Amino acid sequence: MDGAALVRIRVVVNGSARELEVVPHALLLDVLRDTLDLKGAKRSCDTQVCGACTVLVDGQAVSACTYLAVEADGSSVLTVEGLADGEALDPLQRAFLDAGAVQCGFCTSGMLLTARALLRENAAPSREDVLHYLRGSLCRCTGYRKIVEAILIASGATR
Amino acid sequence: MLRPFTLHRPETAEDACALLATLGEDAAPYAGGTELLLLMKLGLLRPPHLVDVKRIAGFGDIADGPSLTIGATVTHRTLERSPLVRARCPLVASVARHVANVRVRNVGTVGGNLAFADPHSDLATLFLTLDATVELVSPRGRRELSLAEFVRGPWETARRPDELLASVRLSPWPAGTGAAYVKFGVHERPTLGIAVALRLDGAGERTRVADARVAIGCVSPRPMRAEAAEARLNGVAAAELGDVTGVVADAAAESVDPADDLHGSAEYKREMVAVFARRALRVAAARARGVEPAARFPHAVVA
Amino acid sequence: MSARPLRVVGQPVPRVDGLEKVTGRARYVTDLVIPGMAHAKVLRSPYAHARVRKVDVTRARALTGVLAALCGADLTWCEPYYGPAYRDRPVLAIDVARYEGEPVAAVAAVDEATAAAALDLIEVDYEPLSPVITLEEALGPGAPLVHTGKPQAGIFADLSTLRPELGTNICHQFHFARGDSAGALAAADLVLDDTYRFPPVQHYAMEPHAAVAVWSETDGLTIWASSQNPYSVRVELAKMFGVPLARIRVVVPHLGGGFGSKTYAKLEPLAAALARVAGRPVRLAASVAEAFQTVRRCAARVHVRVGFRRDGALVAVECDADYDVGAYADIGPRVVQKGTYTATGPYRVPHVRLDARAVYTNTTPGGAFRGFGVPQLAWALESLFDVAADRLDRDPVELRHQNFLAHGEEFAPGDTPIDGKLEESLSRAAEAIGWTRASAADRGRGVAAMLKASVAPSVSEAIVRLHTDGSVSVLASAVEMGQGTRTVLAQIAAEVLCVPLARVTVVQPDTAVTPYDQTTSSSRSTAMTGRAVQMAAEDVREQLLRVAADALGAQTRDLALEDGAVVAPSRRLAYSEVLSLRFGMSGGELIGRGVVAPGRTAAPLGGSTPFWEMAVGAAEVSVDEETGAVRVERYVSVADVGRAVNPLLLEGQDEGGVVQGLGHTLLEEMLYEDGHLLNGTLLVYRVPRADDAPPALECHFVENADGSGPFGAKGAGEGSLIPVSPAVANALARLTGVRLRDLPLTPERVWRALKAQRNR
Repeated sequence: MDGAALVRIRVVVNGSARELEVVPHALLLDVLRDTLDLKGAKRSCDTQVCGACTVLVDGQAVSACTYLAVEADGSSVLTVEGLADGEALDPLQRAFLDAGAVQCGFCTSGMLLTARALLRENAAPSREDVLHYLRGSLCRCTGYRKIVEAILIASGATR
Repeated sequence: MLRPFTLHRPETAEDACALLATLGEDAAPYAGGTELLLLMKLGLLRPPHLVDVKRIAGFGDIADGPSLTIGATVTHRTLERSPLVRARCPLVASVARHVANVRVRNVGTVGGNLAFADPHSDLATLFLTLDATVELVSPRGRRELSLAEFVRGPWETARRPDELLASVRLSPWPAGTGAAYVKFGVHERPTLGIAVALRLDGAGERTRVADARVAIGCVSPRPMRAEAAEARLNGVAAAELGDVTGVVADAAAESVDPADDLHGSAEYKREMVAVFARRALRVAAARARGVEPAARFPHAVVA
Repeated sequence: MSARPLRVVGQPVPRVDGLEKVTGRARYVTDLVIPGMAHAKVLRSPYAHARVRKVDVTRARALTGVLAALCGADLTWCEPYYGPAYRDRPVLAIDVARYEGEPVAAVAAVDEATAAAALDLIEVDYEPLSPVITLEEALGPGAPLVHTGKPQAGIFADLSTLRPELGTNICHQFHFARGDSAGALAAADLVLDDTYRFPPVQHYAMEPHAAVAVWSETDGLTIWASSQNPYSVRVELAKMFGVPLARIRVVVPHLGGGFGSKTYAKLEPLAAALARVAGRPVRLAASVAEAFQTVRRCAARVHVRVGFRRDGALVAVECDADYDVGAYADIGPRVVQKGTYTATGPYRVPHVRLDARAVYTNTTPGGAFRGFGVPQLAWALESLFDVAADRLDRDPVELRHQNFLAHGEEFAPGDTPIDGKLEESLSRAAEAIGWTRASAADRGRGVAAMLKASVAPSVSEAIVRLHTDGSVSVLASAVEMGQGTRTVLAQIAAEVLCVPLARVTVVQPDTAVTPYDQTTSSSRSTAMTGRAVQMAAEDVREQLLRVAADALGAQTRDLALEDGAVVAPSRRLAYSEVLSLRFGMSGGELIGRGVVAPGRTAAPLGGSTPFWEMAVGAAEVSVDEETGAVRVERYVSVADVGRAVNPLLLEGQDEGGVVQGLGHTLLEEMLYEDGHLLNGTLLVYRVPRADDAPPALECHFVENADGSGPFGAKGAGEGSLIPVSPAVANALARLTGVRLRDLPLTPERVWRALKAQRNR
């Protein structure tokens, strides 16, 4: 793939099949935000530490800020915009709202998707499991307590 | 934001190496990209060509045998969850579980980790206790190096520009081995990582350490075996392990070559090596006896 | 009207912007797409101190796709300096770069890649100069000066209240005294003194600073900015570009965190300058690494002396505090004043001498950060207080009770009397942490208390509009940065007007639409902006009652509001009907206005604090003595808030404040070496993670409805952070006997202190 040449990729984004033309050096985060207008994933630390840019590729959490868009070819991508089913919120979204686990909201998308990946992998996580999974998800507003509670509550609701 | 590059996606090792040979310094091998893309974003590297190695046949496999062969593009996550790895060498799976964070583990690869040769690499440190060898392929054929020969210094390996790291081979410990990996530190990269493996032999009162491995990472220019510490363990009666913990820890501390940096002063690192050598040794010894000890320390991970 | 139980105020209602945040629909500045938007990038000084001899942007300007390329020398058509206290900060460096990371040149281009390529084409001729990095260096004899020349007053102060020491790096001095501290110390039974240090730390609001600016002939300058005080930005831009205030519009969407980092102009002047030259909208967005080079907390070295009487009465406090405000003053002089003003903490002290200095250094400018100077002083005083308790053989909780200011007592002449019950906060904290129960052998407990004044004088105005269908708009310029102000303001309006919360919309801050609010900081939004909203809603209520009274031939005192209607004993008029009566047709609206402007007073800081923020923290810690790693196992925060308008949001605020406080207590420190910031990214700057939060964390509230804010509310959000470091250090001292004076209490620092103690 030549640096200037566009590459066609096929990605299922939030359940919709999309065909996109991207340059090889395009980062997934920018393609999602700028080409697909999915602004929920955020750029924060830009070094894979904070998790604000987390999206799920084939169910696995990745740092979209450091992930080439071309790598998503043939995969399905889930962003925060794809969590709700129409008006019906995902139990995690509901739990975050009810528990007061959202303040400025900048980390929220990443937290929700990380939690979603966790619950798919482990439907009944312990608090330890949640803390382990959240090691790469920073929040500067909440102090984390309500986020952890929300995830544990949602896991109960999901089971 | 990245500068433009040409992305090559060879499907065989031969094609990949041919590309590296042709492009030389203009090409960077690319797998998970967790280190490479970060350096490119920081502007520290600007390779015009990336050679994606993830499509190369065999690079993503984990093969069983007398040794365990892990392909270069196996991710940390795959390692963590592989039934084969958990069966043959469970400590490798548990250490993989604690590398960086879940996103890095999902994407980052074993080969990328070893080839990047960060002095803080958990896997490199642990693999030194497993007689690890790496397989390098090039247009000239294949060669195998011990991991210790491969990792030459901080971010420096013996890989020639036209070579690719294809796999790493581990010799899992025999039954009767108790092992632990402990890392300690406050920052994203740990201040130290210590792997201890003790193979016990004999029975009852005659149980002794037949083979001790101690490897220490993060506190020297590259991860290294602490041979003096191992020497203090080999032959020791299992019942007397507690008595030698101090001298083993001292030997471990003396074996490292730390520098003052953001992860700690040289003095502190050296002292912490002693502290965690003792702790890792206790855990390994307990596991060799078939006991899982309670071991939790703030800012430490015990795998 | 009889007192009725509150319906929505005091309830843990879900935040009004929660749904948009969990669905990814909430918009922050960098989510906005303005047609024709160009992208800016900034070239920053690699030197901590250097003469900027020449900046050549010609090649950058010539690159296809570049719309503007500017350096300091180009800014002849505007006032290039800005700053709230001193107008000392150039939009782009002029003649000298004063810190590593200072913007020296900037470009705007059609896309980011072009902008980045253009930066590579800019040539700068620097002549490195000696930097001063530490307070010691900056205050040393013959130290290089960060600023030379006569300082210009900024947007707030006239020079008569700023006291620089010309010819030095001291840009402001604050002095406060009463009684005879020297004499009292000489006569005291116990005198202690010590020096404590507070490091420079980074806010790390997860959204870095961003602005999108556009000029138009018809509308003037419009700027979407991540700002906590759009009106402050507006006046700065007006002065800079010589444009009337009415032709500058600052709009603030959601903020991804602030904590003080987004107060006063930061990137907005540069974005506006680029947009002017480019002739197109320009987006200037900082990276997190650039945020480290934009603003930070003011570091401090605090020397405190305390004198106690044998019976435990605190008789005298002397304090000499030096704050490192970095290369530009920003709001540093105010931080110094505010922090030092309550250097005596929440205690009664007859003899006081407080002196503080704001000192320039060649580092990232220091500005406002949650706590605003008080954490630095509380770290010192609350630590030394515990040392005193130990020496007097007194329980630290009891000794604090003995010396607390009482409800209604004077803090300083002319200022508001103490409006809360400190003893209640302390009692509840002590109870919750189990103070009188023996702790486990491997645990230690400590407490700390705080007192802080809120900014005064200040102004908040609000408008409430009641529409013909009975729905309500609240127009106020308090910025939503996660603390929940949009929800709280809605609750207040809903309460006063007796409508469901869902019928109230709080309009986003927009200086063309929402009226003046001084700042979203200083824990003031509920008490001040909220009070303005309450007054505006009451204005609407009065109008409703008068119209209804006329129509019904009744007295307003016989009418009440209930469920979106005016009710009389026998009649009920929905608001829509009332408006219909008022306007004689289906149209129109009722507009209410609220103004909160207590004005200047004789208080030492120029205005009387609208409320005192007071809180207590209690920590229980364990330590791994072999490594020095401290773990906070339990933490209790108690804040005296008057009335918790939304207990759920308030609890979230304070939990966050505690954990953010643990950051500078155990983990965070910006490290400089020869002027170079060693840890300016999240890879090496360590903020608290989920597993750093105390496993047991409780936040309590004292609510005596004794505040001047709506329904007796006061302010909150800083009180939970301030006691953290002394509470933890006090707990550590009680557990190990070791007293540390420098933050953060990293494992290595604690290990060294324990080792030194063993070797003694």
